[in-house]
Amino acid sequence: MTEPLLKVENLRIELKLRDGVAPVIDDLSFELMPGESLSFVGESGCGKSMTALAIMGLLPEGIGRIASGKLIFDGEDLTTASEARLRQIRGNEISMIFQEPMTSLNPVITVGEQIAEVLRTHQGLSRKAAWDQAAELLDAVRIPNPRSRVSDYPFQMSGGQRQRVMIAIALACKPKILIADEPTTALDVTVQAQIFDLLRDLRAQTGTSIIMITHDMGAVAEMAERMIVMYAGRKAEIGPVDQIIDHARHPYTQGLISCVPHIMSDLTETREELTEVPGIVPSLREFGRDQCLFASRCKYRSGECLQHRPPAKGFGNGQISDCWHAEAL
Amino acid sequence: MSETENKPLLDVENLTVRFEVSRGGSWGKRSYLYAVDDVSFTVKRGETLAVVGESGSGKTTTALAVARLVPAYEGAVKVGGTDILGLEGEALRKARQRVQFIFQDPYSSLNPRQRAEAIVREPLDSLSTKSEAEKQEIVDRLFAAVGLRKEQQRLFPHQFSGGQRQRIGIARALATQPELIICDEPVSALDVAVQAQILNLLRRLQAEFGLTYLFISHDLGVVQHMCDSIAVMYMGKVVEHADRLSLFNNPLHPYTAALLSAVPSVDRARREATRRILIPGDPPDPVNMPKGCRFASRCPVAEARCRESAPDLRDVGGGHRVACHLVDERAVSPLAALT
Repeated sequence: MTEPLLKVENLRIELKLRDGVAPVIDDLSFELMPGESLSFVGESGCGKSMTALAIMGLLPEGIGRIASGKLIFDGEDLTTASEARLRQIRGNEISMIFQEPMTSLNPVITVGEQIAEVLRTHQGLSRKAAWDQAAELLDAVRIPNPRSRVSDYPFQMSGGQRQRVMIAIALACKPKILIADEPTTALDVTVQAQIFDLLRDLRAQTGTSIIMITHDMGAVAEMAERMIVMYAGRKAEIGPVDQIIDHARHPYTQGLISCVPHIMSDLTETREELTEVPGIVPSLREFGRDQCLFASRCKYRSGECLQHRPPAKGFGNGQISDCWHAEAL
Repeated sequence: MSETENKPLLDVENLTVRFEVSRGGSWGKRSYLYAVDDVSFTVKRGETLAVVGESGSGKTTTALAVARLVPAYEGAVKVGGTDILGLEGEALRKARQRVQFIFQDPYSSLNPRQRAEAIVREPLDSLSTKSEAEKQEIVDRLFAAVGLRKEQQRLFPHQFSGGQRQRIGIARALATQPELIICDEPVSALDVAVQAQILNLLRRLQAEFGLTYLFISHDLGVVQHMCDSIAVMYMGKVVEHADRLSLFNNPLHPYTAALLSAVPSVDRARREATRRILIPGDPPDPVNMPKGCRFASRCPVAEARCRESAPDLRDVGGGHRVACHLVDERAVSPLAALT
């Protein structure tokens, strides 16, 4: 059995609020294997992006901090690493694609320079060599005419092309982990399909592990091998994607799958009401209570859900659900 | 009764919307961007027509033009037989009571300094002549209909969640008892679990009040669930227009097929059965449109004639209309030859 590339152990991240602290990530543990594709799923405000920022060492300064737990990357604990060491790792061994391709590129610098900068900093390439490789990277992410497009500014590119540039920057140093935070939410479906194809091919070629953050179960099914469903800062369910879609053991996962109208291959006249998950994600003040945080929206709620945090229950093949009623579902 | 039921409530004929753009070149010469180019469709009373397409396809501009929120350049928009594009003054005010709009972003489409009840009452204040007591009664009824509590009427928009704000937006759209409601991406700004609440609400209200929806969306899953018929737009043109079953079970235009095949699916069987239809490249420059079919540059089955002349939208049987040279009366997808 190979060693996991990234091992997260009992991670707890606290955010400072006006009245005290809230655990935005509460006792999260998972492992990522080399070359594996893992997805985080959940609504906004469930801690998906916070996990990614913690791995990158980019928690908002002065507001968020890692309160306890370990982030072991390649045998090294990132929670105790110095700022200088984190700088070496960021963009080099772990890199990230952000959600908004429109706002995460610098509008006054050419895209070639934005890619070359990474290569000069981390790999010590010369100006000329870095520029040449920037063009090659644009070609690798399938931008037509890479030689002339390297000197384009972001505004001269379409949304899909900008996201490709982001991917080129993230992949410039052949990272071991690529974190994609909602990489296609701002894009059209046909462009989304192209970006997914690109990420799949690049993963096959380079063996990079991918952590994708999304709220779209369809995207998870297309892209990932395993998924972690997050709710209110806690892991609700983890396991192989197909197994969870076939039989989810957490009511929140079931809700996420069935509340979205999925496109059907053989459409008929019948149209059933969508399953609603009533209410919304609890506010940060309620995070960290010793109860099931999903209980207020759950139709299976019983007394114990409100009294204690549910224990993790295993179902074979690495499927684990944190629900008092997991066996009955 | 059946006579009025079968008549379309909304009849859009040859609608064109153009914007003036300044582009280099010789000065004094104007160029125009045709955001909506000669678009026609009808919506039957009590039904939902979805307009789908990618960003830049002109779907939102179409919706805005139908609501007279952007000026149309040519064409007619008939609501119950009267063309509303030529109306002015009092007649336009009357027409606005019949056509209301639900906006995409519930965060920016509600006035942050007004209380929820004032927001919902505003269309009544400006478009009707009802008394204060009547207005209050209507507001009370609407709050109940969209699933908000009476005491929430006094709150301001920032005290509501995204889903609740969209409910306020829906209540506002219902205030003047409109016949046609234009929903412009009503759920795309909401969290997935909240989307279902709003979609179910829209369908319930449609059944209750006999509403007709013009539903703009880019999410084909949502469209498949909500609509009775669909118009697919590409670069300002309707490329395919059919009822729900024909369009999803037998998409004829290559663009529609590509769009459908790009939607990620949780259903493993469907994932394995659908072959991704790749449409490489980007759409053409909207200011200098090609003279032939606008999709030809990305179409996997384009022929020489596709680049020469633009295809018309024509009926290939059973009301299934498609704008493609390669589709004939047998209604067989031109992509079928590829497999």
